[in-house]
Amino acid sequence: MDLFPLWLSLRVALSATALTLAVGIPVALLLARVRFAGRGLLEAVVVLPLVLPPTVLGYYLLVVIGSRGPLGRALAAVGLELAFTWWAAVLAASIGSVALLIKSAQAGFETVDRQLEQAARTLGRSEWSVFWSVTLPLAWRAVLAGAVLAFCRALGEFGITLMVAGNIPGRTQTLPLAIYDRVQAAQMDEAHALALIAVGIVVVLVFGLSRVARLRY
Amino acid sequence: MRRRTFLALAAAWLALWAGRDAAAAERSVTVFAAADLAFAFRELAPRFEGATGVRLTLVFGSTGNFAQQIRHGGPADVFFAADASFVDRLIVEGALLRETRTRYAQGRVVLATARGAGPRLRALDELLGPRVRHVAIANPAHAPYGRAAEEVLRRSGLWEALRPKLVYGENVRHALQFLQTGAADAGIVARSVADAPEIEWAPVDPALHAPLDQVAAVVRRSPRPELGLALIRFVTGAEGRPVLRRYGFRVPGEL
Repeated sequence: MDLFPLWLSLRVALSATALTLAVGIPVALLLARVRFAGRGLLEAVVVLPLVLPPTVLGYYLLVVIGSRGPLGRALAAVGLELAFTWWAAVLAASIGSVALLIKSAQAGFETVDRQLEQAARTLGRSEWSVFWSVTLPLAWRAVLAGAVLAFCRALGEFGITLMVAGNIPGRTQTLPLAIYDRVQAAQMDEAHALALIAVGIVVVLVFGLSRVARLRY
Repeated sequence: MRRRTFLALAAAWLALWAGRDAAAAERSVTVFAAADLAFAFRELAPRFEGATGVRLTLVFGSTGNFAQQIRHGGPADVFFAADASFVDRLIVEGALLRETRTRYAQGRVVLATARGAGPRLRALDELLGPRVRHVAIANPAHAPYGRAAEEVLRRSGLWEALRPKLVYGENVRHALQFLQTGAADAGIVARSVADAPEIEWAPVDPALHAPLDQVAAVVRRSPRPELGLALIRFVTGAEGRPVLRRYGFRVPGEL
């Protein structure tokens, strides 16, 4: 059995989780700490990917990053192509999962006692240092729980990926797409095997992490 | 410092994989093919590969979806559509090469019955009977076989009465799956995918729907248009025709 979809999916889900952390933590912090005009709007935008059907989201994304889209054309001008590469799958998975990280991390940051941060500041720590040595360590469980949820969602991403990355065997066919393809081709044994692998990964990850870190979802 | 190590690792890990896509594409032709071709093309692909030494990457899905993807730079070299209108629109838009447009087959629909659902249905009006609870067809809004199924039901005067029973698949293979799993008792699907062990079928009068002209064309962005054209010629040639015919298509020459 061809295990390429498994490796691709792990690669995509890990990359997407990294990207999601990089983008999601600042946004979560912003939402948890700063009162600003348009905050409600940002909250709505953040959860939008959970509301819109993935294929619809995928279509709009394709219009933006495809060869006719503004971003697609800009990238092509410097010799890069995003649509229908595995990077497109990473982008798809990130968009699908970033809300889960943000909401979880935001809740975590909101529970951090701000007097502890103040104390660190009075001791001369910079904002950057306060974040890394006080805020994040106190909220890490919520951030990690969000990251696990985001990873799982990224691993299972289907609709957006199908649209922007295609379902190209050996290139962009991720685990969920491969399972769908096998089911459609009536190759049920392979479909079951691949589905079992996906279930196995998630069970080990979620169960293992909840034992190690005592995460609550 | 742990942080910096982690970031460096992550960057290295990402960079490691960045260059792989292009390399994998070197000697292969990517084919976007309508869902109804799945069985016939899985048989034809190894023969074409054997004869030419070109590796085929087959992607099966909905014709409408593929048309969108090709419009936005999808990496197909050649497109085998289940319906001429999608191809013709893409030719006008300049995404497909006009001179390569070839009608390669004509599709037909059949009346399919899931084996678990009792004796085989022979006539369309039996769909009205109480033992048929769900009738599977492909989505008429964008799937060519869905449109054909709708036409068949409208012309036989059954559309309105059957509407509450209809369930839509994303494409014709998906509709077939409703039957294979027994979720639907009957359906109107492509003849070319109907030879599944879980299904029995009966012919439908071809006069009840407009012919499903299946058209192929080479994608303009393809770096090797001659290979895509070679595949079209192979499919419509002496090797391809009998296979298509065996899967229930009418083929060039008998159209």
